[in-house]
Amino acid sequence: MSRTLIVRLSATFLALGCAWVAYTQAPQGKQQAKQASNKLNKITDDLYEIEGDGGNVAVYITNEGVIVVDDKFEYDFNDIMAKIKSVTAQPVKYVLNTHHHGDHTGSNEHFLPTAEIISTANARKNMIDGKQPGAPRVVFTDETDVFLGGKQVQMRYFGRGHTNGDAMVYFPALRLLHTGDLVAGNSPLIDYGGGGSLKEWAATLDAAMKLDFDTMIPGHGPVGKKADMLTYRNNVEKLRTEVTGMIRQNKSRDEIAKVVEDKYGWAPTGLQFQRGFDGMLAELKR
Amino acid sequence: MIVGRVSRPAAGVHARSSRTWRSGADVDVCPTWFVRSRLNFDIVSRMSRTLLVRLSAVVIALGCAWIAYTQAPPQQGKQQAKQPNNTISKVADDLYAIIGDGGNSTVYVTNEGVILVDDKFEYDGQDIIDKVKSVTNQPIKYVLNTHLHGDHTGSNERFLPIAEIIAHKNARDNMVKNKAPGVMRVVFTDETDIFLGGKEVRMKYYGRGHTNGDAVVYFPALRILASGDIGANNGPNVDYANGGSMKEWGATLDGVLKLDFDTVIPGHGPVSKRQYLSDYRDVATKLPATVISMMRDGKSKDDIAKVFMTNGGLWVNPNVVNKLDQIMAELKN
Repeated sequence: MSRTLIVRLSATFLALGCAWVAYTQAPQGKQQAKQASNKLNKITDDLYEIEGDGGNVAVYITNEGVIVVDDKFEYDFNDIMAKIKSVTAQPVKYVLNTHHHGDHTGSNEHFLPTAEIISTANARKNMIDGKQPGAPRVVFTDETDVFLGGKQVQMRYFGRGHTNGDAMVYFPALRLLHTGDLVAGNSPLIDYGGGGSLKEWAATLDAAMKLDFDTMIPGHGPVGKKADMLTYRNNVEKLRTEVTGMIRQNKSRDEIAKVVEDKYGWAPTGLQFQRGFDGMLAELKR
Repeated sequence: MIVGRVSRPAAGVHARSSRTWRSGADVDVCPTWFVRSRLNFDIVSRMSRTLLVRLSAVVIALGCAWIAYTQAPPQQGKQQAKQPNNTISKVADDLYAIIGDGGNSTVYVTNEGVILVDDKFEYDGQDIIDKVKSVTNQPIKYVLNTHLHGDHTGSNERFLPIAEIIAHKNARDNMVKNKAPGVMRVVFTDETDIFLGGKEVRMKYYGRGHTNGDAVVYFPALRILASGDIGANNGPNVDYANGGSMKEWGATLDGVLKLDFDTVIPGHGPVSKRQYLSDYRDVATKLPATVISMMRDGKSKDDIAKVFMTNGGLWVNPNVVNKLDQIMAELKN
C-alpha cells in the first residue's frame, strides 16, 4: 500500500515539475492560445484585404492560384486559409513577405511546403539572425515579378526605412500598392535592430511613389490613396527634421522623448520607443 | 521504329491497321478493298493467302509511313526524331555538369531537392531527368535559365508543372515576344538567391552581351560559376534581335569576374578554370576597340572578319561573319 502511495506521489511531483518547466519555458504558449480575429475586405474583383491581427494581408486571385502578401501571426494561418477559401477554390501558390517581422511572416512555416515564399535578401537574413521559423527559399535584391494566370505582381526594394529589407508589392493592372510597414499607422516604427533608418525613409518612399498607383494597402491601418502616402512621407520627414534640430540644440533625451510622444503619438512603452528611439538619436547625431 | 517518328494522328492510323492484320477480327475498320480480297481467299491456296496478308500489311505499313512522313511538319519532325546525346560528369561532390546537346546543364544536389541550370532542347528533357536520377533521388525543384534561347530553355514546359523556373526579366520578355513555350512564372532584375537544403545559389545579372537578359549562376560554397552564353566557347554570338551587345559584353564580364570563383561551366564547351573567363573578357573588351579603329582606318569587312576568326583563338565561330554587319553597325555609334 505505502509503496503504491510513494509511486503515486512521485508521479504527481514529476507531473507538476514537468508542468512548471513547460509553463516557464514556453514563451510561445500565450500566442498560440490566441484566437484569430480578422475581417476580409473586397478591394477589387480579384483582390481582397485581410485586416485584423498583425499586418494587413493582400489576397490576389488568378485562375492558376492565389498570390498572398504577408501572413500575419502563426495563429492566424487557419483563419487566413478559411478567408481565402470563402472567395476562391484556388490554392495559395505564392506568399510575398514585405519584411521579416513575425506579424507579417508568422504563418510562413505552414505555407512553405506548398507555396513559394519570396522576400528581399535582407529580410531573409534578418529572419535567420532572429532564428525565426519559415524563412523563404527565394529572395531578391532589387525586383522580382511573379506571373500567374495571366496576371503580374511586382515586388520591389526601394531602400531602407522600417528595416533594411522592406519590399513593396505592386499590382500594375489594379494600380494598387501594398506598402508593408514603410507606411503603417501614423508615425514610423524604425527597427534599428533590423537595419531600419529614419534618415533614408523618405527617399525610399519617394522612389516608391514613382510607381503608377491609386490605392494603397499599408502594413497596418486602413486602405488609403496615393495622397495618404505623401502625407505619411511628409510626417516621416518632419520627425527627422524636428529631432535633428533638437539634437543640434542639445536638448535632453527626455525633452526629445516628450516631443515625440506629444506630437507624433509614440506610446511611452510602445515598440516605436523600444526599437526606434535610441537608434534614431544615434543615427541623427551622425 | 517508324512509329516513334510519326506525328500523333498518323501513329494512330498505323496502330489500328497493325491490329487489323494481326488479329483478322477487326474487319470493320479494314479498307473495303482489303475485305473484298479476303472473300476471295477461299479459292486460293493457304500459302498464297498468307503471302497476300503479308503483302497487304506491308502496303498498309508503307502507306502509313508515307502519311506520317508527309504529315509531320519538317522542323518539328526532325527535332522530335533527335535522340538525346549527353553525358553527366562530376564537377564537385554535389554538383554535376550535363554536357552534349544544346547548352550545358548544371545539376546542384541538396537534401531538399535539385537545382538545375538550363534544360537544353525539348527532346533532352527525359534524358536530363534520367541523368539527374543516376546521381540522386531528389526531385528537381528549381530550374534557372541563363537566357531565353531554346537550347537552354527547351525542356521548360516539362519542368513548369513540377519546378519553379526563374530567369532574368528581359529573358522572359524575349520568350513572350518570340512566343517560346515554357515561359517562367518568376523573374528578377538584379539578383535572386535560392536557399535549398542549407545550400545557396546566387543568380546575377551584370548587363548586356549575348542578349539583354543573360544571367550567371554562382555557387558560393563551391566557388563555381555557370556562365551561360556570355562565356560560351563558340565566340561572340551577339543576338541583336534579343537585345545583345558587342560593345557592352566586356563590361558585363568585368562585373561577373568580381565574383569569387575558380571553376567555370560555360554555356557551351568544357568545364574550365577562372582564367578561361578572364581571357574571354580580355578578348571581348579588346575586340570592339579593334573593330572601331579598323573601321576608322577604312579596313574592309573581310579584314575585320579575320580578326573575329583568329583573335585569341576564342572566336572561331563562322556565324560571326553573318553578324558582322550588325556588329559594325553597333560599333559605329
